[in-house]
This record gives sequence, C-alpha cells and structure tokens, in this order.
Amino acid sequence: MPLFGTLDLKARGADAPRAAALATTDWSLPGAEVLHLLFETEDAGNLALLPPALHPTIPPTCHLVVIRAPESPAGAFVLAQVRVGCRAGAFQRGFVTRACCDSARAATALRDGFGFDCRTAEVKLVRRHDEVAARVVDGGRTILACSLADPVAIGPDDVRYVDTLNLAWVQRSGEPTLRLVQLDARQTIRTADRGRPCVEHFDAAAWAAPGLLPDYGVSASFCSADLAFPRVRFLVDPAKPAFQGTEKV
Amino acid sequence: MKFGIFFELSTPRPWTPESEHRLYHESLAQARLADELGFDHVWCVEHHFLEEYSHSSAPEVFLAACAAQTKRIRVGHGIVVCVPQINHPARIAERAAALDLISSGRLDLGTGRSGTWTELGGFEADPDETKKTWDEYVRAIPQMWMQERFRWRGRSFSMPLRAVLPKPFQKPHPPLWVAVTSPGTEIDAAERGLGALGLSMGSVADYAGKIENYKRVIRDCEPVGAFVNDQIAAVNFLYCHEDDATGVATGQRLAGTFNYLASQLLSTREAFPTRSYPSLGLLPALRSEAAKKGDDGGPSAAITIGNPARIESALRRWEAAGVDCVNFLLNCAETVPQEEVLASLRLFAKEVMPRFQKGEAR
Repeated sequence: MPLFGTLDLKARGADAPRAAALATTDWSLPGAEVLHLLFETEDAGNLALLPPALHPTIPPTCHLVVIRAPESPAGAFVLAQVRVGCRAGAFQRGFVTRACCDSARAATALRDGFGFDCRTAEVKLVRRHDEVAARVVDGGRTILACSLADPVAIGPDDVRYVDTLNLAWVQRSGEPTLRLVQLDARQTIRTADRGRPCVEHFDAAAWAAPGLLPDYGVSASFCSADLAFPRVRFLVDPAKPAFQGTEKV
Repeated sequence: MKFGIFFELSTPRPWTPESEHRLYHESLAQARLADELGFDHVWCVEHHFLEEYSHSSAPEVFLAACAAQTKRIRVGHGIVVCVPQINHPARIAERAAALDLISSGRLDLGTGRSGTWTELGGFEADPDETKKTWDEYVRAIPQMWMQERFRWRGRSFSMPLRAVLPKPFQKPHPPLWVAVTSPGTEIDAAERGLGALGLSMGSVADYAGKIENYKRVIRDCEPVGAFVNDQIAAVNFLYCHEDDATGVATGQRLAGTFNYLASQLLSTREAFPTRSYPSLGLLPALRSEAAKKGDDGGPSAAITIGNPARIESALRRWEAAGVDCVNFLLNCAETVPQEEVLASLRLFAKEVMPRFQKGEAR
C-alpha cells in the first residue's frame, strides 16, 4: 500500500477555515490566466503536510498556482495557491495548504463556497516576453516570488491540470465537520506557453506548509483559458483513505 | 493464438529485507512453470524508481535467470527504454545479444520510451525528445547486430567505428517490438515493421481500430531490421479458477491493486506539458476497462479472469479482433498467494490453452 499523509488533523483543523455555504452553482471565470509551476520536493515535508486520506505522488511534488480572473461571481481577483501533489485513492489531486487573494470579497466567497484557506494579500501576476512572474506580499512581507522563464508557445491540448482539495469545516448533518472539499475546476484553454519554473522566494510557513521545499523544477506553464469552478460535488473525510471516505454532496 | 506472461515485479510496502528476494524467486518459479506448461513468452519490463509498482530495473538479469532455468519459452526483454540518459543504444544491443546467446536464440526485444516523469525526471531526460530518440535507436540497433563493425552519426547519439559485441544467436537478429500506448504508435510500429506490443488494456473495440490500422500499414512498410515482425500482442490480467465467482473476485483484486499502484506514479502527461505525451499512458485505459461491467453484471468481457469458460470467451473476443498473442499479468504486489498463482497457471494451461491451439479458432 502506498504511503499516506501524516498531517495532525487536530492541530491543523484548529486553523482550518469554515466553508459557510458550499457552492451550489457553478462559477464561470471567462478570460482567465493561469500560471502553474511544478516542483519536486523533499519527501518528509510532503508527508507531514498531507492528511491521512491522501497519498503523496511518487516522487513528492508541489504546485505553485496563480489564477487571474477578470470576471467571477465575486468580481475580479488574483488568487495564488500552494498545493501538495497527491492522490485521493487512484485520482490525481493537489492538496491546497493555503491561498492568498487580492480581493477581500473574493477571498471570502472562495472560502465559503469551496473551502479555500484564503487570506487577503497583494497578489501580482505579470506577463512579459521573457517571463511570467508572480509575487505575493502579505503585510509588507514577500511570501512568494516565482516565475516561468523563457516562455515558448505550446498547444492548448498539451496542458493538463489536476483537481484540488481544500481542508475546511463544513456542515454535515447539522454539525461542523472537517472535510476535504473537492474542486473539479474545468478549463477551456485558448493559448499556452511552457517554460522553466523558478522560485526566488518561498516562505513555507506563510503558506501553512512548513518543511515544503520546492527545490527541483519540473515544468511551468502559462495559459489563457475560460475556467469554471463547478458546484461542490464531493467531500472526503481527511482521516480515512479516500477510497473509503469520499462522500457525495 | 500465443500466450505469454509478463512481469512488472511489484512488491508492496512495508518492505522487509526478504521482500524483493522472495518476489524475484517466486517470479522465477512462475516462469519455470509457464515454460513447462507451454506458454510462449515470458516478458519482463524495464522500469526505474517506481515504488511498489515495479522493482524491475535490471530485467536483463532477471531474464538471464529465466533463460537459464527454462528450455523452450521465449524471453521478452522489454520494453527497454530507448532514451540516452537511461540506456546507450550500444548497451541495449550488447545486453540483448548476450541474452539471446544465453537463451540459445529465444530473445524478443521490445522497445519504448517510458511514460512517467518519475522515470524520465529521475534521469533528467527531456520528454520532448523521447519519441525522436526511440526512432533513432530502432534504426540503429539492428545494424549494430548485423554489421561486423558499426558507426553512427546521429541526432541523439554518435559513435565511431566499433564492433558491437557479442552478436545475437538468432540470424539475422531477434524479433523487434514496440510498446503501443500513445495514440498513433501502432502506425509507428507498422511503418517500421515492428511487432506491436500492447501495453494498454483498452477495450477490444479500441484495439480493433488500432489493429486494422496496423495491418493496413505494415503491408507496405520499410522495416528497420532485416525482416518484418508482423505480430500484435495484447496484455491482460490472468486469474483462472474452477469457481467463477472466486476467479472473478481474486482477479478483480489483482486488477484493482495494479491500477491503484500505477496511479500513484507521476505520468509525464501530468507533470510536463508536451505534445510528445498526448495521453496519460496506461492508467486511464487500465482503470476504465477494469472498472467496466460485462453484460452479465460481472467483470468486463475483455478481462481474462474467472473460470475457464469465462476466460475463453474473453480471449475469443481478442482473437476475433486480430490479436496474435496475449501476455498475462499474473500477480501484483503479492495480492495473490504464490500457490494460487501457480494453480491459476496450471488450470489455464489445462482447460483454456488447448482450445486455442492451431485449428481451434471458432
């Protein structure tokens, strides 16, 4: 049997957000841009960050993702996420350790509707000819500076994203219950670039990811796409293997 | 129809000092029995770093032991990874020729390029390049075997005039195959006169289209070697038991474990955006076929698990689609106890295999 995550749910659960009203309608995010960086990481760090429901990828990985959405039900926003690469049973997933959003309104809506552990911070995404760069500044402190270097156009069909899981308190049978909220984002990609993933600065603690070290770059892509965040359909009990603990909403 | 077995050499956690030793020796025992029972091939894959799923990084060593311990069964070395960071083509030619000598001319060589970032990334290989390097390798290797001395000025490798030694026992050279996983690779196989080694357990219908393409194109191919290896092999799970329900339940456990372990790996498609890897490879086809239900509510009619009658029925579908050979995965991560694996092989050889001898096609 593959390895399971060893995250202390009691400790992590105390800090987990409350998803006040899980999304029951789809979010449409037309004209979005997505910067996606993939790194290999240290083994021990990944295991300690993943709930016991999930397996780490082989090799262990993390994703740095920045989405600029000019339109959404919560208005325009730029959202940065740190995800640990994992498997829920046999399915490819990214476990979001924390997210930062430049819009307080959107941060609240993403937390309530999809369970993002989302803070409000300054999040910038800049496209240049030689790089696509992202920077997140929280309380005057840079907590992420990363980029795709040397972009080269590739086919839209060449890019593939995995679904994400957010750890949050949700209402189940009238009780607040800790669950992984699955977001099956869909995308229609119009243009795509690939390049080298680079990290100038990564404050693991600020992303609730102590020990995470994105130290070996795998790939970087930047896409323009129409995105959709569908209504939440699945929850996973973080304490049970996902093949036993997945619930339909 | 021919039948073979193939090994991924998987072993589950927790690993003990005995785990891999037991795995290798139990697998050798399965190969010896397959030889005695009249199976045609024993294949062993090359994989690197694939925890639990495959501890088979030196298949030529395992196959040398198979060759030494068997009399008749052909040894399938494949697929070998045709990527410079993992194997120099001269080393592939040398090892394969030595294996052909050890086995007294029983070698088949399967070629491929790896489908996981877990492997390619581990060797810092460029996924954009693997199709190109594979193509160059399959042209070069037969020449290394057939020419007394060989030189090459190429894109992925170059070498001055050298005698690549030893030469294979089979003349002009052993049969060559390629793993067919990505869409269109069956055309690549046919154009080069290579056998199509099916590594995806897609549905019979999916396969039928590939077979039709392959058979059409190979008629006018320009073979990379000295002859055309016009053969199509599929892969499948095998668990055969007198009691159908027991056979199906154990077989489904085997298939489920295989799919579960395979899905933990990082596919190249998932990790590295590139046109070179248009599909996720093995995994989705495996999962979907193993999860499908047959008309009777049992397993997919294409999966060879259950009692002899059910397995024969599945194989007839593959036969009708034009498959020449089916290679079976017998176990995964010790899901099935060794004695049951051997009993399954014996029962299959006794009850099913004779029905597919020449002249038995229906």
